[in-house]
Amino acid sequence: MKTVLEARDLSVDRSGKRVLDGVSFSVTEGEVYALLGGNGAGKSTTLLTFLGFLAPVSGLAHVNGKAPADDITAARRAIAYLPEAATLYGHLTARENLRYFLYLAHMRPQADAIEAALDQVSLQPDARGRRLSAYSKGMRQKVAIALALLRDAPILLLDEPTSGLDPVAIDEFHGLIRLLAGAGRSVLMVTHDVYGACQVAGRIGLLRQGQMVGNFTAPSGGRIETEAVHAAFAGRVPA
Amino acid sequence: MSTVLTLAIGEWRFWLRSRLVLASLIIMACVLAVTSLATITRMDAAQAERLAHQVAAEERFLAQPDRHPHRMVHYGHYAYRAPGPLAIIDPGVDRVTGQSIFLEGHRQNSAMFAETRSGAVLGRFVELTPALAYQVLAPLLLIILGHSLIIREREAATLAPLLAQGVQPVAILGGKALALASVILVMMVPLMLLAIRATLNGESAISAFTLMGAYALYLLIWGGLVLLVSALVRQRGMALGILAAFWVISAVISPRLAASYASVTYPAAGKIETGLMMARDLREVGDGHDAGASTHDHLREQLLAEYGVERLEDLPVNFRGMVALASEEKLTKLLNQYANEQMLREQQQASLVHRLGWVSPFIAIGGASRTLAGSDLAGHHRFLQEAEALRFSFVQGLNTAHAHTLSYADDVNRNRDDEAMQRARVGAENWKVLSDFRFSPSPAQDRLRAALPFFTMMAAWAAGLFVALGLVAGRLGA
Repeated sequence: MKTVLEARDLSVDRSGKRVLDGVSFSVTEGEVYALLGGNGAGKSTTLLTFLGFLAPVSGLAHVNGKAPADDITAARRAIAYLPEAATLYGHLTARENLRYFLYLAHMRPQADAIEAALDQVSLQPDARGRRLSAYSKGMRQKVAIALALLRDAPILLLDEPTSGLDPVAIDEFHGLIRLLAGAGRSVLMVTHDVYGACQVAGRIGLLRQGQMVGNFTAPSGGRIETEAVHAAFAGRVPA
Repeated sequence: MSTVLTLAIGEWRFWLRSRLVLASLIIMACVLAVTSLATITRMDAAQAERLAHQVAAEERFLAQPDRHPHRMVHYGHYAYRAPGPLAIIDPGVDRVTGQSIFLEGHRQNSAMFAETRSGAVLGRFVELTPALAYQVLAPLLLIILGHSLIIREREAATLAPLLAQGVQPVAILGGKALALASVILVMMVPLMLLAIRATLNGESAISAFTLMGAYALYLLIWGGLVLLVSALVRQRGMALGILAAFWVISAVISPRLAASYASVTYPAAGKIETGLMMARDLREVGDGHDAGASTHDHLREQLLAEYGVERLEDLPVNFRGMVALASEEKLTKLLNQYANEQMLREQQQASLVHRLGWVSPFIAIGGASRTLAGSDLAGHHRFLQEAEALRFSFVQGLNTAHAHTLSYADDVNRNRDDEAMQRARVGAENWKVLSDFRFSPSPAQDRLRAALPFFTMMAAWAAGLFVALGLVAGRLGA
C-alpha cells in the first residue's frame, strides 16, 4: 500500500519549546490512523506540520512523498483538514460556508452534492439555511465534517473530530470514517478519545510529551482493544 | 471565479450582514450626499452672486457722470474672486481669505493682512465639504471596515482552514485588498458625479479626473495601511487603536503642528507692525495729492527742462496728473514689495506644511486637492496679484486722463467757482480705462504641475505600503 503521510524522527519546536521529539509513524492509502494523547502531547502540532504551517527542526514530515514546503499548494489540496474548533464563518449559513470554502479549494459543488454531504453528517434540513452563529458546537462540527467530505481529498486530517458531538452523531461519524477508508481515503485522526480511536482506527500511536510511547495495531478483521490502550494512555502499564 | 474575487465577495457578504458596518456605510453615504449637495448649493450661489456683483460694480463705475478723474480714483472699484468649478469639491481657502477686494488709488486693500499668521492653516476644518469628508471621514470608514480584515480570520481561527484549502497567503491579502478597493470604488461615485458636474461647468476634464485620481490614491493608501495593520497585529482592539491613533496624528494633530512649526520657522510680521513700517516708507514716497511737496521737485525740474518752459502752467501736460502718475507708480512699487514679502512668507509656510505630506497623507491630499481645485493659497495670491494689476491699470488710466485731458490751470483753479469746477471735469468716456475682471483658476497644466509633488508623496506612501504588504503576505501562512 502506498504511504501517503510519513513522519520520520520528526521534531518540531513551538515558541522555542520542543513539542514533537523524534516522532515516527506513517499512514497508508485507505488506512485510519489515530494519534492518541493528552493535552499538550503534540497531536495538533503533528497535523499542522503536515499542513505546512509548522516546519520540522529535524526529521521529516512528508505528504505523498514530499515535504509540504516543497509544494505547499499541492500538499494542502491533497488534504481535507478538520480543525478542532470547527472554525467556520458565523455570518454564513451551512450551505454558504460549504460553497465558500469549496470555491476557495477550486471546486464547484452542485447543490445536491452539498445536501448529500449534509445528509451524511445528519444535519437537520431546516438548519441548513440558518447562519452558523446560531449553531451549537456539535452542529458546527457536522458542517465542518461535511466540508471535509465534500473536499473529496485523498487524505483527511481530523483534529478531535467528535468533540462536541452527541453519542448518536459520534456513532454515525465513526461509520462515515470507516466508509471513507473503505473507499480508499487515508485518515489521520488526533484525539484523546480512546474509545472512539479504537472504534475506527486500524492503528493507534500513543503520544506523550512529544514522544511516541506506544503503538497498537488492530488484529485482522477486528478492532484494537480499548482496555489495553486505555491502560497505556493512563500510564498504568508500559505502552 | 478567481480565489481573490471569491475572498473579496466573501468579505462584502460579511460587511452587508454586519449591522455596524452597514450602518457605517449608510452614514458615510448620507454624509457624502449631504455635504455634496450643500457645497454645490453654496458654491453655485457664491459663483452667481460674485459674478453679479462684479458686473454690477463695473456697470456702476462706467455709469459715473463726468467728474474730476481723481474723484474716480477714490470712487474705486471691486474685484470679486468667483470660485472655480471644482470648488464644489474643495472650496479650499475661499472662506478664510475673503472673496472681494475694494480697489482704489494709493492703497492695496486686501484681506491678506487680516490672516497674517495663519497662512499655513488656511482652509482647514472650516466646514464640512466633500473634500473634508473624503480626507477625514472616508479613512475612518476604511478603518471601521478593514481593521479586522485579517485579525477576524485569526480570532475566529478561520485563517488556517482558508490556507488549508490551498489558498496562498498572498491571495488572502489580495482578496481583502480587493474588497477594500471595491469599497473605495463605491465611495468614489459621488466624487465622480461632482467631477462630471464641474466638467460640465467649464472645468477641464483632466483636472477634474486627476483630482478624482488623487482621492483614489489617498484612499488606497489608507486601505493599504488598514490592511497592513490588520495583518501585523494580533488583536482587534490594538489594530483599531493603532489605526485610530494614526488617523488622529495624521488628520488632526500633524496639520496643526505643521502650521505652528511653519509659523515659528517663517514668522510673519503682524498687521500693526507691518502698517507702521509701511507708513514710514510711504512718507518717503510723498503725497501724490500735494504737487507742491518737495518730494516732487525732481519731477517738476525734469518736466520743465524736457518741455523747455519755466512755469508749470506752460507745460503741455497737467503737472498734478503727472505727479499722481509718478506717485502712484512709486507707491505701488512699495506696496507690492510688502505684499510680495507677505505672500512669500505665506507661501513658505504653506510649502513647509506641504513637505510634511511625506509623513502625513492627509497633508499630501489636502495640498493636491486644493491645488487641483484651484482653491489653494497660490490661487488666492494670484487673485490678489490680478486684482492689484487691475487696480494699478485703472488708477493709472485715470491719472493719465488727469495729466493729458485736464489742463493744469483748470485743475488748480477748480474750487474758484461752479464754472471752474465744471471745467475741471473730464468726460465719462474716460472711465472705460477699467477692464473687465473675471477671476478663474489657473490653466489645468499649471495646476497639474503644481500638484505633482503631492502625487509623488502619495505614490511613495503607496509604494512603501505595497512592499510592506508583500513582505507581510509571507508571514500570513506561518
